Amino acid sequence: MNGKRLILLAIVVLLAVAPMASARIKLVALPERAATVIRLDNPNATLIEEERVLTLQKGLNKVDFSWKGVQIDEDSIRLDVLDHPEGVNLLSVSYPPDEAALVWEISSGGNYAETVRISYLLRNIDRLITYKAIADKAETQVGLRSYLVLRNFSGEDFEKARVLLDYGEAFEQGIDHEETKRMLFLKAPKVPIRKIWTFDAAQLPWDPERLENQNVGIPVSYRIVNDAASGLGQFAMWGGKARIFQDDGHESTIFLGEDNAPLVPVGEKMELYIGDSRDIVVTQRKMKDTRINLRKNDAGRIVLYDTDELITAKIENFKDSPATLTMIQHIEGQWDMKKCNLECKRKDASTLEFEIELPARTEEGPAVKELSMHYHRRNVRTR
Amino acid sequence: MKRIIAGLMILLVTGVASAKVDLTTIPTRDTVQLTIYNSADLTLVRESRALTLAEGANALQFSWANTLIDPTSLEMLPKAHAAEIDIAELVFPPRVKNLGLWNVESEVSGKVPVEISYLTSGLTWRAFYMGTLSQDEKTMRLQGYVRVTNNSGEDYENAQTRLVVGKVHILDQIGELASRQYAYGRPDEVGARPPVPSAPHPVKLKRAAMRDLRMMAEAAPMMAAKGVIKEGLSEYFLYTIEGTETIPTGWSKRLQSFDVEGIPVVNLYKYEEERYGDRVVRFLSFANDEEHELGETPIPDGTLKVYRTADEQNHLAYEGQSSFKYIPVGEEVELSLGAMADVVVEPTLMEVKTDNYRFDKDRNISGWDDIATWKVEVRNTRAVPVKIEIRRNFDSSYWDLARNGQVDAFEKVDLDTVKFTIELAPRSKRTFEYTLTTYRGVRTEDWTRRSR
Repeated sequence: MNGKRLILLAIVVLLAVAPMASARIKLVALPERAATVIRLDNPNATLIEEERVLTLQKGLNKVDFSWKGVQIDEDSIRLDVLDHPEGVNLLSVSYPPDEAALVWEISSGGNYAETVRISYLLRNIDRLITYKAIADKAETQVGLRSYLVLRNFSGEDFEKARVLLDYGEAFEQGIDHEETKRMLFLKAPKVPIRKIWTFDAAQLPWDPERLENQNVGIPVSYRIVNDAASGLGQFAMWGGKARIFQDDGHESTIFLGEDNAPLVPVGEKMELYIGDSRDIVVTQRKMKDTRINLRKNDAGRIVLYDTDELITAKIENFKDSPATLTMIQHIEGQWDMKKCNLECKRKDASTLEFEIELPARTEEGPAVKELSMHYHRRNVRTR
Repeated sequence: MKRIIAGLMILLVTGVASAKVDLTTIPTRDTVQLTIYNSADLTLVRESRALTLAEGANALQFSWANTLIDPTSLEMLPKAHAAEIDIAELVFPPRVKNLGLWNVESEVSGKVPVEISYLTSGLTWRAFYMGTLSQDEKTMRLQGYVRVTNNSGEDYENAQTRLVVGKVHILDQIGELASRQYAYGRPDEVGARPPVPSAPHPVKLKRAAMRDLRMMAEAAPMMAAKGVIKEGLSEYFLYTIEGTETIPTGWSKRLQSFDVEGIPVVNLYKYEEERYGDRVVRFLSFANDEEHELGETPIPDGTLKVYRTADEQNHLAYEGQSSFKYIPVGEEVELSLGAMADVVVEPTLMEVKTDNYRFDKDRNISGWDDIATWKVEVRNTRAVPVKIEIRRNFDSSYWDLARNGQVDAFEKVDLDTVKFTIELAPRSKRTFEYTLTTYRGVRTEDWTRRSR
């Protein structure tokens, strides 16, 4: 860190305690900054730790710490004495008016060249994580690379600093103000993936025929597990933009899509939405919705009833390869299934999940599966 | 490309990265490959160059002023000596725009082929079609074209050109990323990423029998015929144009993607009051399959202009324009040509009555039936046979329907919609009737009991 320009540390040694003068005298000595650490383990704030050697004299010392052109969170500033913690006491911290500065009042038991560590939260310096994944042609695995992007717009140049993430070894890196650096920091060559097509009946249109010249895209995702079997699982994977490519079999790639990866703890799954499939078509219709088991009040008004509902969905695979469609259906309230021709898993009170295996299309046409879901909603109150 | 990305320079570095010593060479680009998308303003550019590296630290400077390159997508990969060359970092230096510096540690010296790839904005393509109906309107010639436009700011010479059909998901517009002051933005910027994929223009097509993709200059008809390699990858289709293309910035090129004759088509007319009003809308119906001389690959969405052979001298009549969606292999397609007056559907309400009243204990009405009888007259004034689909939507799911007169097919579409299908010979008409009984109030309970 080049401290001369932006962050200044000055020491005023007072041999006698006197009220602080309004015109403050600064700059007595400018101790050189020694080790500097940039801690990027918290995604919301960057902590800078710098060590300096203060020449303290026995008695009362005032140390002036000021900055300009950078944004330091004043309340975050800490001073730790490293060499003589027993003999050096921080008495007070004062903030002069209309200045980006503070004054430490330090009592020293002797004349020391004292190493201190100053810590503070510095704004506008951070890191991003990005991912690049290249899927094989069969879409069974990806080569995953992750890049660390350091961005320094703090106003301060860091000539040489130890950079710490929340895992892995610290590394040395210099970065100037307004500079951005991108480094490879994770490489996992064979990460198994699962390709997922999802039709959520609450999110997508039911009847493509009702749309004018628009395809209903079925969202397609890749699922990656952050575990040892994937060649990962050493640490939580940070969130960031992931770009996914695919080997085209001709020593080149195509771009499949991009998504924001969330933070994925060890053992958890990451799902990356890459694009939409227009070769799987779902046509869902409600064929029946009637009231049954009517219960009435004395006035003959229906106050409680059940329903008799039938939903059908035709799923067509126009692809020349098989696919597994995850279909999500929703039934609100209390209900029971009278008949359902496909197996499903109850995800929660109102959500059903079907895993529907679709063969590839044949010469005769698309592979077709039909879902028929006949259910009753129970004890529906008339509003 | 020489105009813009001229500056790939190699700087030998001694010690730390700041001491740039020498500019050794500006390598030319050996090959370029463009993979152009049409569902987003996005092109993947891959170029190969031979760099001369020195043993030790090298700094490679890459600049791209006046282009629409997304700097966050820049990648460099050595194509030889990969184990001995470490691309340590990519640096975007302060106060310089459109410039990146790769710091490379090399254990070898001499020429090393590298591949540089990036995403750029400004290259687009779209599909469009021309259909020519035979005089009897039973078959159609379908010609597909794609038009590639280069507004990227960069001249791409002798580029292998590939077109991708598919709906790709992107978070940021590439043009927006390209115009950023800083490659990855600043930490204090907010909202720098609107995830708005642009509207798709699907791509193109081709059928089984046709393999010639012709490159045409806009003004000059047919030059050399070129082949096209078509293949499916993931959820996309990739069309690789044979050979290379040169598309200077600001220019477009039209390619004929296919030309298929004799596609059997059905003149389909649809009537649905709630959707089209009281007009009949004309569709051309066929399927993207072998039976229809198609079916080799999906047909990308685009616009279609339809003409008809009007006489023996092959004069043309313009029938209309349709835009259509992406058509997977094997799917039926209906191309809307708009409302027409030469096929008429006239539903007339002939009778209304109510019946089967129910009363509650206070003698108020608690249920009844609405009974409506409709006569539907369907006329084909054209000299060709037509197929007509008539949809009727009801305001309740408690109904019965009785029919009189001949229809070719009847289908309950969903709980409150039915569809009548009629095929009419040239200049003919047909009438049918239906009586709709809608159950109201407690009469729905009777309907439910009966239907269970």
